[in-house]
Amino acid sequence: MTPNKISVGDYLILQKQNYKKLLKFNKPNLTVTVGRDTINLTGIEGWPYFSVFKMVSNSSKKNREYSLELTQEIVNLKDEIDVKISGNDNRNIFDDGHSQKLSAADIEELKVDSSKASDIVETLITNSNTFHSKTEFSQEKYLRKKEKKYFEYIQIVRPNLRIITEVMYKLDPGKIQGIRVDTLSQIITMANIQSEGNHLLYDSGSNGLLAAALLSAIGNQTNGKLVHMHPGNMSQKQALLAMNFNEEHLNRCISVNVYSALRQYYQGCDTNDNTSSELNHLKRKAEDCIEIKSKVSKTENAIDKYINTEDDNISEDSKPEPKKPKWHFDNIAASTILKDKMDSLVIACKEDPKNIFNELLEFVKPGRPFVIYYNVAEPLQQLYMLLKSMSNVAALKLSCNWMRNYQVLPDRTHPEVTMDGAGGFLLTGYVLK
Amino acid sequence: MSFKNYKDKIDEGDTVILYLSNNLYALEVRREIKNKKGEMIENVFQTPFGALKVKNLIGADFGSRVELSKGWGHVLQPTPELWSLTLPHRTQIIYTPDISMILLQLDLVPGSTVIEAGTGSGSLTHALIRRVRPHGHVFTFDFHEHRAKIAKEEFEEHGIADFVTARHRDVLELGFGEELNGKVDAVFLDLPSPWAGIPHAVTAIKEEGGRFCSFSPCIEQVQRSCIALQEHGFQDIVTMEVLQTELKVTRRTIPVRDLSFLRHKSSECPVEEKPSGDTSYVVGAWPASTPGHTGYLTVATLPPDFKKSKAKDMMKSDVPEDKSDSSESDDRMVIDESVNQ
Ligand SMILES: C[S@@+](CC[C@H](N)C(=O)[O-])C[C@H]1O[C@@H](n2cnc3c(N)ncnc32)[C@H](O)[C@@H]1O
Repeated sequence: MTPNKISVGDYLILQKQNYKKLLKFNKPNLTVTVGRDTINLTGIEGWPYFSVFKMVSNSSKKNREYSLELTQEIVNLKDEIDVKISGNDNRNIFDDGHSQKLSAADIEELKVDSSKASDIVETLITNSNTFHSKTEFSQEKYLRKKEKKYFEYIQIVRPNLRIITEVMYKLDPGKIQGIRVDTLSQIITMANIQSEGNHLLYDSGSNGLLAAALLSAIGNQTNGKLVHMHPGNMSQKQALLAMNFNEEHLNRCISVNVYSALRQYYQGCDTNDNTSSELNHLKRKAEDCIEIKSKVSKTENAIDKYINTEDDNISEDSKPEPKKPKWHFDNIAASTILKDKMDSLVIACKEDPKNIFNELLEFVKPGRPFVIYYNVAEPLQQLYMLLKSMSNVAALKLSCNWMRNYQVLPDRTHPEVTMDGAGGFLLTGYVLK
Repeated sequence: MSFKNYKDKIDEGDTVILYLSNNLYALEVRREIKNKKGEMIENVFQTPFGALKVKNLIGADFGSRVELSKGWGHVLQPTPELWSLTLPHRTQIIYTPDISMILLQLDLVPGSTVIEAGTGSGSLTHALIRRVRPHGHVFTFDFHEHRAKIAKEEFEEHGIADFVTARHRDVLELGFGEELNGKVDAVFLDLPSPWAGIPHAVTAIKEEGGRFCSFSPCIEQVQRSCIALQEHGFQDIVTMEVLQTELKVTRRTIPVRDLSFLRHKSSECPVEEKPSGDTSYVVGAWPASTPGHTGYLTVATLPPDFKKSKAKDMMKSDVPEDKSDSSESDDRMVIDESVNQ
């Protein structure tokens, strides 16, 4: 069991209303920005996950800096404020901008003086011309809006696949190839990912989300292994790190560059430079790594938006180690696993999937499933036609998902007014002998 | 036994999936079966492509081709997904698109302990078992004695009985049993009055909190469940619907009609021109009919005990519960689809 207390070094989820942010809690007094606010996390360390903290304004009104204070109860305005009169409909409501008798300055003053937000809102209501003629629904809506404005709480929860997928998709679906949560969930099941077996993943860029998803289903303290191939010089690991997997678990994911790993497999060596001495090559490669590192840190700024991390892992990986770089052993390990053959194949690529699939199919045992993800249908349709004509796969299926969320409230249940429209496409099947 | 581990070869007693030109069949590999008179006879499986001598499968590789009297097919090792498509229906079942989402929403990983009610035909149960094994466990309940019994036998035959406990029990009336109090990471309900099971879910979920999911075909069920979840201190209550459509991929050759020549005077002036040629596309066509609704998934988080105390106080001023509904008959499951197969 993982400890349930917030500790330095954890990745965690900071939740404010419906907003969630993923961050690495790398020092006890970490400061994060949430919208226009700056929040200092001093004091959250050691409290159990799910604890709720109240945002306390630090200084002047201008710079919106907050610190956090543990709180036991979240105030619900609806329960605190007893609304006695409401209208039947909105026929008498005319909002001329003067319905609130208090001025903006009055309200600011009120905020400084009152310790309880319900006091603030009650004063606001008393000084409102229109509140009592609003319908009950509108009053509730008003209270919810005010609640958002004056009650600011932060809850700290532990990241997991469900939350990380949500956070990453919301922030920028493009960074995870548009893989929506329902599609992701089906990639795991259709590939029959489980605690046993050797699983092969080719991912040309989802910030580690696919590797995180598969490794989570492979599990902690099990026999399953994941070979994670990527076309870049560095594997993208953000989501994988955010899962807080322990070392035993994380070590069963071997991330390798697809070229080096296949070269190692077929040629017994992971470089194509056979003239120069190995040492020489390693040196060159190490220099490459440094270059890449500067590239990585640039992209990281973008990623920073949802992951605050001093990515010690990346700098660790790219430290020049001319003797025995870790990636060299990873290539050998991957190649050994490939020789044993794989129990599943998952491809989520930006390239045309055809060649990648045909090459990697070699490694999959007969009877085992494969799943290919692409964010539009056409490349998968082409591949479908090709595979149909080759008849080396069974139960070939191209599918498209649809997902909709609902607002469920008494007498006001309806689909959410916007939905995540792009879920991508899956081509699935089973490999034949 | 073929559900337990990855296998390369077929043994007697395995369940295998026969794949025949886009059709899937599950069959149990037995040399002989009983005929109607109770005599043991050779096991021959009839397919649209002729007969399959089942004993010939023994020792064959999974993924290999098998000969039929009028053609051939391929044999696959069953996965929970293939099983959902071929299993004998004793109730309505949940299919892979919803199952996948349920597994992810319940935060299930190897090692998790999960409760499921009702067991029904065991479609979801197989997927739950695969996700939580080897250290985890599934507790599945059905108040229909026969279904609970058959499910139990099926798990034994499939070699996965170590990871699942199937019980005959009315969980709305009796809860999940004292021995599970505070023991599980997640609770899943697929029964007609899920809201009535929510207090029992609270009792069963671990002190450090856990997840809840219910699958309900009707929005009224969802509304009642959401109110109950709120009253019992759940947070992050979300309702969603997931659908999947299979696209039909074909190469389509379509005529090309040229109109540009009309800009200029020409000798001919036919009214009805033939298309001037054709062009071809690979298309993914949407089927004329596709699943439009399966059920709503309502999911929520039960926070740890230290957060729940307040919610419990709130419950004293509870919204009245209509108890009569929990005895409502389960009309979702009266259709036995296996009969007309
Ligand atoms: C629709 S089926 C479940 C199907 C299952 N999810 C599957 O995928 O195969 C519903 C089942 O719940 C059972 N059930 C209904 N009410 C119950 C209760 N109060 N306690 C236990 N089981 C119940 C029914 O007997 C029925 O088998």
